[in-house]
Amino acid sequence: MSSNILRRVYKRSSSILSRYQSISTLFVSPSDPQSIDFSTSIDTPRNYSPVFEFPSKDASGVSLLSNKRLNFSFGSSLNNTRLLFSTQAAVQPSTSDGLTVDAIVANQWAILDESENDWKSHASAIAQSIRLIKKRLQWEKLKVRLEILSFQLEKPDLWDDPVHAGKISREHGSLMGKMKEVNGLEQELLEHIDMIKLAREENDPDLESESVKALLKMRQNVKEKELEALLAGEHDSCSCYIEVQAGAGGTESMDWAGMVMQMYKLWAERRGYGVTIVDEMRGEIAGIKRATIKVDGEYAYGYAKAEVGAHRLVRISPFDAAKRRHTSFAAVAVTPILGDGSHHVNINESDLRIERYRSGGAGGQHANVTDSAVRITHIPTGITASCQNERSQHQNKASAMAVLQSRLDQREMARQAQMNSQYTQSLTDNSWGNQIRSYVLHPYRMVKDLRTNFEVSDPDSVLEGEIDDFILSFLTDSMDKENEV
Amino acid sequence: MRTRKIKLMNLTSLARVSSLSTAFASRTLHRSITCRPISCSSVSHAPTSLKPKPPLFLRPLTFTATLSDLQKWQNWAKTLASSVGSSFTDLDNGPDSENLHRELNWLIEDALENPKSLLTLDDSKRDTVLQLRADLDELYSLWKQRIEKRKPFQYIVGCEHWRDLVLSVEEGVLIPRPETELIIDLVDDAIKQNQELKEGLWADLGTGSGAIAIGIGRILGDFGRVIATDLSPIAVQVASFNVNRYNLQDKISVKQGSWFDPLMEFEGRVAGIVSNPPYIPSGHIRGLQAEVGRHEPILALDGGEDGMSDLLHLCNGAALMLKPGGFFAFETNGEDQCLFLVDHMKTVHHNSFYNLKIIPDFAGIKRFVTGIRS
Repeated sequence: MSSNILRRVYKRSSSILSRYQSISTLFVSPSDPQSIDFSTSIDTPRNYSPVFEFPSKDASGVSLLSNKRLNFSFGSSLNNTRLLFSTQAAVQPSTSDGLTVDAIVANQWAILDESENDWKSHASAIAQSIRLIKKRLQWEKLKVRLEILSFQLEKPDLWDDPVHAGKISREHGSLMGKMKEVNGLEQELLEHIDMIKLAREENDPDLESESVKALLKMRQNVKEKELEALLAGEHDSCSCYIEVQAGAGGTESMDWAGMVMQMYKLWAERRGYGVTIVDEMRGEIAGIKRATIKVDGEYAYGYAKAEVGAHRLVRISPFDAAKRRHTSFAAVAVTPILGDGSHHVNINESDLRIERYRSGGAGGQHANVTDSAVRITHIPTGITASCQNERSQHQNKASAMAVLQSRLDQREMARQAQMNSQYTQSLTDNSWGNQIRSYVLHPYRMVKDLRTNFEVSDPDSVLEGEIDDFILSFLTDSMDKENEV
Repeated sequence: MRTRKIKLMNLTSLARVSSLSTAFASRTLHRSITCRPISCSSVSHAPTSLKPKPPLFLRPLTFTATLSDLQKWQNWAKTLASSVGSSFTDLDNGPDSENLHRELNWLIEDALENPKSLLTLDDSKRDTVLQLRADLDELYSLWKQRIEKRKPFQYIVGCEHWRDLVLSVEEGVLIPRPETELIIDLVDDAIKQNQELKEGLWADLGTGSGAIAIGIGRILGDFGRVIATDLSPIAVQVASFNVNRYNLQDKISVKQGSWFDPLMEFEGRVAGIVSNPPYIPSGHIRGLQAEVGRHEPILALDGGEDGMSDLLHLCNGAALMLKPGGFFAFETNGEDQCLFLVDHMKTVHHNSFYNLKIIPDFAGIKRFVTGIRS
């Protein structure tokens, strides 16, 4: 019996292969006798033949559609390879009896608790997650983008510009990886379902319960992937700088800026990120005029970018003797720290003005200071960065340079995004000045995100760094809104 | 007036050095007795203490204290730092409260194995026992010295972070300044222009903690060598300690002696000469920031009446010692000294040097004179 199962399993996977193979060969060289040999040589495709025909029709329909789109975006230059590619992507994998992932979603099987050992419930949950992942990855856009990239990769003169070529091939590789991963998930789901059906046919309860367990595991795993898909942006996995600046209003708003910065420090520590203060300008009485921290760790930028904008505080100011209610603002900016080699801007040493600041007097041997603050100005753009928290001037300069690089990269990326409207993300619209969240401590207590309307009634916990729910609701919201368009 | 000075310099030739330096040394001793608290001077000038004290961050974790006791100390230290306000700054351009608070955090970083536990307060762990590199009493006494005696922070923790190095320092050795870091960049530019210099012999005169010598030692090629000289036996000890810590003992030799004395045998063969000599005019010494005037070695600060005695001596020596194409970089007190040096080199050492440049530090003060031996 076990050999029978093995045979069936083998059949299952090879049948997927044969289906892909034969459909693609159908388009590339329909009369090639070898490809026919190949598909017929595989162990009995008997019960697959109807399924086999159905997706091939479907496939040609979709590829026609994408032909149109391609014609629209590039004129009429098309070649077989791209056609082959679009066909492959359009094939819908299915179970032995023709069940596809979309069909599972359409069936709307009840999704029960994970503890219920119901395979239909697991399958339905997984299928929904896969659909959500696809949506978050902007599946249709991703496919088009992949085709464009594949087309560019085939250009014979591509490597005349190795930097550009490297970029194209890196992006292609990364998108391809995402697509393969999702296709793999779909295939895995269908294979599990096939196994369960098979186990029932063969009356093998051990195999059935094992397969249901595998489905459950997949259900949990795919839930994590949902979250990862939220952070699928090019730089989301980077570390980042978070900068907070006090708005107008003197001590009260400086105190607020200090509270916001503290919130991020605690949030980052809670998430296990490394936190370093790079630059800090304290207020005379309380709080900060501005400060920059470096947050080190995977996906720091992906999460923190959701915090960009103005944060508003309403409270009775402890600095107001008359105990009046004050409204103050703090602005938050977040920039990714790109890895070496992936910078968007090459900084020209001669464009920089490097100054030691807060140093008075004759300096040199006259002074013994531990403060070696350095400010670097990029003269062509006027962008500056400073650092005073390192213990040597050399290190302060290196830190300030890294901040400057990050700011210049960010600026260049925003410029490119504007030029390439297809890739404008709603996130980049959140300019420094947009009010995104309101923290009310008086007369009632509430924190409300003005973008998502997500709110909590316990400001203290938020100010102690519990902002994950705000971040996730914003990321989900903006992703899902964006993809509807 | 300028010509008078130059003539004077010509007379005070290389031979003058040894008598002058003994004069400096005796002056140092004299000052340390009159101005310093007795407890400090005994450490810095006892000729027997030849083994340098390791910096705090390198000492073993032999002490313990509970988190709550440490927090008490920290709060006391913070209050003390806050009480300073801007009074030191107003008095003599010394540190303000913000500087002192930052220094306090660094002291904690150096003294504790796990400084995070104290820097991020968590009341639930008040009884946790933490390991320390100095006992709690010493921490109280160190911070008291920092604020009340204005003892430089670098002497408190026994080290100075300079470029990407952490150098051991102690009383009797000048604390390397941030401005001086640039000399390494100037040397780096010079050896990029002339690769030959990369494999040559360099001299760091009046090396103090060994900072410049070590900085240069790390950018030279396999055959490049540095001789670091200093008149002070303590400086020689500390510099040797630092050279060993960076494992550069095969590349850098530290020699005791005045300026060029220890390298006379290399006359005309030296690839580069760098120095941060004493350049403060004697008349300014009294008004120095307390951290400098009360604690740092006057031998490394006092440059004679106009602050130029040693700089001019170095210029004359550079003409003699450098090989053709050899590079020099000297730190000065500012624009006046820079202009004077360049003028001196152009007139007195006519045609001996070319590419003479005055280079500002990051504060915009004209700080360095560089040039190449013809």
